[in-house]
Amino acid sequence: MPFSTYLDGKRQDCRELVAALGKHFRYVSILGTDVTATAIRADRNMSMVQDGRGECGFVLKMHNGRSFIEYSLDDVSGDKQALAERIIRETAVDAALQSKMIEAPVPADEPMKQDFVRENDFADFDDASLLKTCKDISAEIIAKDEHVLNAIAVIQPYQVNKLFITKNRELSQHYGWANGIMIAIYRGEKIAQAREGDGAANLKDIIAMLHAGADKVIDLAKHLSTAKAIEPGVYDVITDPSISGLIAHEAFGHGVEMDQFVKDRAMAKHCMGQYVASPITNMHDGAAATHSVASYFFDDDGVLAHDTQIIKDGILVAGLSDLASAAQLGTAPTGNGRRDSYKRKAYARMTNTFFEPGQDKLEDMIASIQHGYMLFQTNNGMEDPKNWQIQCTAEYGIEIVDGKLTENYVSPVVMSGSVPDLLKSISMVSGNFKVIGAGMCGKGYKEWVRVSDGGPNLKVKVKLG
Amino acid sequence: MSMIKKLLEQDSRLSGWRINETATKSYELFFVHKSLETVRATDTVTTNVTVYVDHDGKKGDSSFDVSAAMGEADVQKKIDAAVQRARLVFNEPYELPDGGELDRDMPSNVWDAEPKALGHAIADAVFAADTVPGGSINACEIFLYKDTIRVLNSRGVNKTERKGRVMIEAIPTFTEGKESVELYEDYRFTEFDGEKVTAEIARRMAEARDRFQAKKPQTPMEVNVLLRPHEIMELLWELADDLNYATVYSHANLHNAGDDLQENGVGDKLTVTLKAQVPGSESSSWFDADGGALTDTCVIKNGIVASLFGSTRFGQYLNVEKPTGNLPCMKAETGSLAENEMKKAPYLECASLSGLQLDLFNDYIGGEIRLAYWFDGEKAVPVTGISMSGKLSQVLANMRLSRESVTDGAYEGPALLLMPGMKVL
Repeated sequence: MPFSTYLDGKRQDCRELVAALGKHFRYVSILGTDVTATAIRADRNMSMVQDGRGECGFVLKMHNGRSFIEYSLDDVSGDKQALAERIIRETAVDAALQSKMIEAPVPADEPMKQDFVRENDFADFDDASLLKTCKDISAEIIAKDEHVLNAIAVIQPYQVNKLFITKNRELSQHYGWANGIMIAIYRGEKIAQAREGDGAANLKDIIAMLHAGADKVIDLAKHLSTAKAIEPGVYDVITDPSISGLIAHEAFGHGVEMDQFVKDRAMAKHCMGQYVASPITNMHDGAAATHSVASYFFDDDGVLAHDTQIIKDGILVAGLSDLASAAQLGTAPTGNGRRDSYKRKAYARMTNTFFEPGQDKLEDMIASIQHGYMLFQTNNGMEDPKNWQIQCTAEYGIEIVDGKLTENYVSPVVMSGSVPDLLKSISMVSGNFKVIGAGMCGKGYKEWVRVSDGGPNLKVKVKLG
Repeated sequence: MSMIKKLLEQDSRLSGWRINETATKSYELFFVHKSLETVRATDTVTTNVTVYVDHDGKKGDSSFDVSAAMGEADVQKKIDAAVQRARLVFNEPYELPDGGELDRDMPSNVWDAEPKALGHAIADAVFAADTVPGGSINACEIFLYKDTIRVLNSRGVNKTERKGRVMIEAIPTFTEGKESVELYEDYRFTEFDGEKVTAEIARRMAEARDRFQAKKPQTPMEVNVLLRPHEIMELLWELADDLNYATVYSHANLHNAGDDLQENGVGDKLTVTLKAQVPGSESSSWFDADGGALTDTCVIKNGIVASLFGSTRFGQYLNVEKPTGNLPCMKAETGSLAENEMKKAPYLECASLSGLQLDLFNDYIGGEIRLAYWFDGEKAVPVTGISMSGKLSQVLANMRLSRESVTDGAYEGPALLLMPGMKVL
């Protein structure tokens, strides 16, 4: 699949608009987006094939010698001079506020022209075959167990096309990603909902994952229908890669988004070069750090993808920045400038965030625990980068007694406490490694972007409730 | 939109169609401390089209987005593709809402205001609260929106509503020496009142100072926990969402009409009405995404599930004679205890949570507490570093609701909810 013909056709319009605005601003960039998404879903009663959450539009970022100005619009055709005047008029500030504008350096505009393409197999599958897969999976799960009230199967491929143009820079990128998920609603001792899902660069892998997961989701649903509440307490815990990723994301990922440094909203700003985790802890983020859902070639500020090591041997060594925060901090941007869509502002955001694998074997980690829990599947989490509190909710846990996993399931499990206490309690790190590319991340309670996170199994001590 | 409408009207393959369009103009200010870092404006239109195709005794539908730059040939291609997709879908038949023209403004003093001047006035109101010694507002984002929301369908629905609304995200912070704490404030309204904005941010500033002084109390303990309106609304929406027609049709619900949510309870009985509008709420609407009329509906009466609610499609699937529409707001009846009566015995009043965790199926309520006020019977002190948990069914059975009522966003109802005997660690 080639790059978007629509955006290709808008290159000259974008160049002309950048030039027209360049008469008034010290720096001008334009990002054009054409993201197409499809949602395919089937359950016992219904099915669906339709457009998913896509976007198509443009956003301009300007620097007036002091601070940043942005403007989002649907189309850039027509009289560029008139459009530039309208943009200047609509982004003006009240006279009394002008003196309060920050004074940040003008971003560099390093010359570069490149088109990036990552091929995928999406063209090999039509709507009918994907819907049939969803229907077959749903029917298979329902047929396997009479206690299944409903089974939902979803496939969501999406293709990203982005065009970035400044006076000296012209970049385009095209890539895709797909997510698959299945949910079993099960009536046992109580009604339970179990899910299995993942993301992949190719649809054939998603389809294989769904077919392989039917028995697993029913088994999980059975166990969850008998799950009990956990007795609140501090426990030895083994995390699965999903929960390890949730910890990486919530405990430290948000805390090193460097727009929070600018606002004095992150304690990490004062901890660079210090031990913030156990010495066996290494953590990364970056669109180029692994191949997953957030593996773009350049960010929404036109900065090429990075692999940023955040924690090295327990020491905090780097943060994540967008263009605006890097300008204010006098650092080089790390390729983490991301937008919810062309309608929203760019912020410093995570991409693919994970702990590096270690040397331990999972079975040894479980065997080392007299009484504790192994936690599975991210439900949600909440950051607190200033105060380093953490709340991470796992879908379920399995009790460990005398070094063995039992059949005792607990659900849900809310993990909370202090970030340094949690990270410094990491005592074992497995050699397993998995990054799960099916997540969405907000900043506070808005600005949703697709992210992945993961890592190895970790052994930690933490409060569960 | 007229071009899209024309193409849909002349397409004999379709048994129906719907167009949803939201045009938004915004003006946005982003402050770092008291300095303006970024100014933004947007002028965008989102258009989504749904086509319906009756085939084989079933109904298929498919939706697609239309971008502003698309010409007639582009839209026709999208329609053709959507028709093909709709033919793959075999859903039970249903009718779209019929008739009804409407053109209304949601009451707001934001719509007619000049954005630059209003943005400045809101910023002044926010930073006027920055008067606490040791306090600061480390970040503030101000969003002014003017939305024009329109729904058209093939059965004559042609409805438009205009909303002016504001969202403020502010981060009150308190610092002494090298130690510093913050709280998060997300404030949304349709009527700008500078004094109210200042008072709201000032209240949160004072709580940021309290968080700085807060200590971890002696734990574990079992204690009465008080929830404030934001969390009460989350709890009640968790119950209400379970009663949506779509949830019930998907067999994903726990409760049904007639179920007692407060079985063997000794607390205040819960009465919840879902509403189209709550004054001052940005969620208020004249119609839902189908363009159907919204009918205020009591979903829980005296603790018993009184009615389901939801969209016209899923209402028809459940043989509901007059579906309510997807109602966006909520009113809960007040309870029997005055706030001062609630606060006579020891309590823990949650002022800031990392996020209330609710799980109907696993009978769970809990969450990490960033700031609470612990009253031991003699005095109230700020506390932090703790989490709470309990059984949701026991909370529902034994909870008490305050006699005092507040309006907070899309919620009208008791100002406090008391959950007896929560475990705190």
